[in-house]
Amino acid sequence: MSHVTDERETIVRVCDVVKDFRPGFGLRRKRILHGVTFDVHENEIFGFVGPNGAGKTTTLKVLMGLIRATEGSASILGCDVAESEFRHQVGFLPENPYFYPFLTAREILDFYARLSGVPASERARRVDQLLGTVNLGHAMDARLKTFSKGMLQRVGIAQALIHDPKVVFLDEPMSGLDPLGRKEIRDLILSLRADGKTVFMNTHILPDVEMICDRVAIIVKGQIRHQGRIEDFLPEAGRKTDVVLGGLPPETADSLGERFDLKMRGLGDRVELQVAEKDVHQVLDSAISAGAEVVSVTPQRNSLEDVFLDAVRAGGAPE
Amino acid sequence: MNSLSRIYALANNTFREAIRNKLLYMLLGFSVVMISSGVVLATLSYVEVHEILQDMGLAAIRFFSVGIAIFVGIGLIHNEVDRRTIFTILSKPVSRNEFLVGKWAGLTFTVWLLLALMAGAFAIVSLLAGAPLGLDHLVAIVLIGLELMVVVAIATFFSSFTTPMLAALFSVGLWMIGHLSRDLHALGQQSEVGTVTTMANFVFLLMPDFEVFNKTLEAVHGLPIDSGEIGLAFVYAVGYTVCTLILGAMIFSRRDFK
Amino acid sequence: MSPKLIQVAALIAAVCATGWVHARLPNETRTDRGEAFVPAPHVIEAASLGFDAILADYYWLQAVQVAGVNDVIDADTASHLGKLVDVVTTLNPYVDHPYRFAAVWMTHSEEQVRDANLLLERAIEFHPEDWRNYFYLGFNQFYYLGDFEAAASALEGAVKNEGSPAYLPRLLARLKSQKGDIDVAEIFLRQLLVSTDDESEIAKIEGALDEIEIEHKARHLDRAREAYQQLTGYDILSVGDLIRGKHRVLQKLPSPEPDSMPASLRRGSVWELDREGRIVSTYLGARYEVHYSGIESAVFKPDEQSERQTKGPRGQEDEPRDG
Repeated sequence: MSHVTDERETIVRVCDVVKDFRPGFGLRRKRILHGVTFDVHENEIFGFVGPNGAGKTTTLKVLMGLIRATEGSASILGCDVAESEFRHQVGFLPENPYFYPFLTAREILDFYARLSGVPASERARRVDQLLGTVNLGHAMDARLKTFSKGMLQRVGIAQALIHDPKVVFLDEPMSGLDPLGRKEIRDLILSLRADGKTVFMNTHILPDVEMICDRVAIIVKGQIRHQGRIEDFLPEAGRKTDVVLGGLPPETADSLGERFDLKMRGLGDRVELQVAEKDVHQVLDSAISAGAEVVSVTPQRNSLEDVFLDAVRAGGAPE
Repeated sequence: MNSLSRIYALANNTFREAIRNKLLYMLLGFSVVMISSGVVLATLSYVEVHEILQDMGLAAIRFFSVGIAIFVGIGLIHNEVDRRTIFTILSKPVSRNEFLVGKWAGLTFTVWLLLALMAGAFAIVSLLAGAPLGLDHLVAIVLIGLELMVVVAIATFFSSFTTPMLAALFSVGLWMIGHLSRDLHALGQQSEVGTVTTMANFVFLLMPDFEVFNKTLEAVHGLPIDSGEIGLAFVYAVGYTVCTLILGAMIFSRRDFK
Repeated sequence: MSPKLIQVAALIAAVCATGWVHARLPNETRTDRGEAFVPAPHVIEAASLGFDAILADYYWLQAVQVAGVNDVIDADTASHLGKLVDVVTTLNPYVDHPYRFAAVWMTHSEEQVRDANLLLERAIEFHPEDWRNYFYLGFNQFYYLGDFEAAASALEGAVKNEGSPAYLPRLLARLKSQKGDIDVAEIFLRQLLVSTDDESEIAKIEGALDEIEIEHKARHLDRAREAYQQLTGYDILSVGDLIRGKHRVLQKLPSPEPDSMPASLRRGSVWELDREGRIVSTYLGARYEVHYSGIESAVFKPDEQSERQTKGPRGQEDEPRDG
């Protein structure tokens, strides 16, 4: 995961995008996006994170040309999002996708393949292959109205990939899926990156982001609060690990306290130590050689969540 | 070329969706009943029996095909937005113009197919009743087909920016005005106020004139229909459809899909 | 009782109650109630929304019904029919029969005849090749309006068209030279008789031909009266003088009723002298005149008119008399 993102080509560029909505005739305009700016680079998985109602989906719809920015500009692969021709290189999975219920999975994918300009000779093969990839091979010829939410989500992913796009935009791709399904989608997204594609992902599920994203932008109330590589949110130097030991002789405990920078807490006959990650090995070695028993070793990895919660709390009301 | 194949895919899909609508078959069945009911109606008169039979048949065809065109057309775009199926479609290399034209073409093709089925029923009833059947009847039905093309464009136009309820109201209203416009125009010409006359002229030119497509009397009474007039009606229908769709596309392209 | 049974019972009760009430609600149509509302032709034409042909049929069927329901076509019914046919022919001017259908009945006043003529002129406009419309128009002009020139010019239109009867040119010639004699009327009426299948129309024309037959007989008696006067130097005191006494000029009086009338229907009419001293049959009560004179001067009494509606064209100054 050593991507040097800055040198990569910029695939998506969002620059000072403002979006106002008029809730109804004669009502005051309501500003949803307050000058959103971010870039997505080639062959990365970009996490667009924010609480519900922060403007994630609105931003994504601007990128998909479904709504027009009031101000600012947005481009994908160097093309203005108002155009449509370049979209044969773009895949999109909307949140809770819905399809014509009277069609079968095979028919709907064939339809999208035609719209995307997939040559007739390749269409059938692509459709079969993708339905296999998303594990719908058994339901190819069933009508979509019989599909569960999770199955529709898989159809949605398949249609987003049917034309082998360079960039894929996913709005809450894990929603509606069971844990096994989520794992499959995670693996699928990782394989997309392995195939050289760029993935833009809207989500509010942070563990997913930590697991697969290369870079993240946090949006709160229509403004980008933080943006950067995932490692920036998890500073290597500051990382701590919780080590719980049993039967640690008091003198060893004292010498550990002198040699390392750690916090120590007694828990009956056990001791909990908060150790810097780089010292974990040595601390464990000393403790074991002094006859202590290792109860648990747990790395602390909640810093993205901390950043996220801080951002939301600090968000206030940018009116 | 690509654009055409996308429009074809959209139209084809619209057609597939429309023909799965059960309401359509009910209306089609009802129209066939109405076409056949001309036989009964005609027995009430002791003269012009065949004329009454065919008047009834052509009236039923016009009534039901226009009804289907409007009431399927008004939900055409709205349903796509409402069910969010439009999101995935517009994320493909499909422009909004292509989308609008594809929906229009699909429904037009659907109502043309229904028109052909109704015309078949009309022909069978006429033949069974021994009523004359000629090229004139075909011309009258083709002209209804042209009217339908314009009506679908109007319904698509309204559907592209308003709710089905309002779109139905506007479409039916405009269709009625389309059959009234010649009379409104004539009324305006009688006015002594110059601005009223000018307004009447303006409205007449702006509003559709559906009487162009009404050759029922000529067909049923075996009167000659000027082929030049048919040609002009065709051009008029195409022209009005193109104008309506372009206007619709202009409004549609500015829409946000929340 | 199971809920389903209750449901069915409720349905049956509701159906019965609704049916009972409905059967007791007045169900006559506007026409039944005698409300002769007919929309203005140009309004209904504008509002037809492309359904003009079927609307025309609707009003035509209404006209057929009005004519069929009424045993007697009085002046009001005739003008109702006229309005209906005006609507029919405005919506669909290419109809054929309705024009003449209306014209046959619209004979109760000069105004009505003129309205009928407007319809016939529209018929001629849209069916310029059909001689019958010219013929009906000519008949109206001659018979009811007494306009011989207009009648002749209408007949010229008929003569020019294919299918017109061979004697029409002769009729035209007589119309131009002799103007209004009863022979012309008779030729017109005989032609009308062969050109229609409508029973009530046939009865009406036969009634008119009966009147002409009686007029022929009355003229025969007039000639006998003249002979009587020349013979005796004075006038008859009663019609019976013509066959009585030594100066009698006739063997026997002709029947004062139509010869074709079956004995069972005869009313025992007699020949008599009216107040002005003319010989009349009590069957008609007056001398036949070609009707133009009648229409303009007659005082129309719809009830009396209606009693004799099947007997002949209106407009005569006749007082119907029974027995």
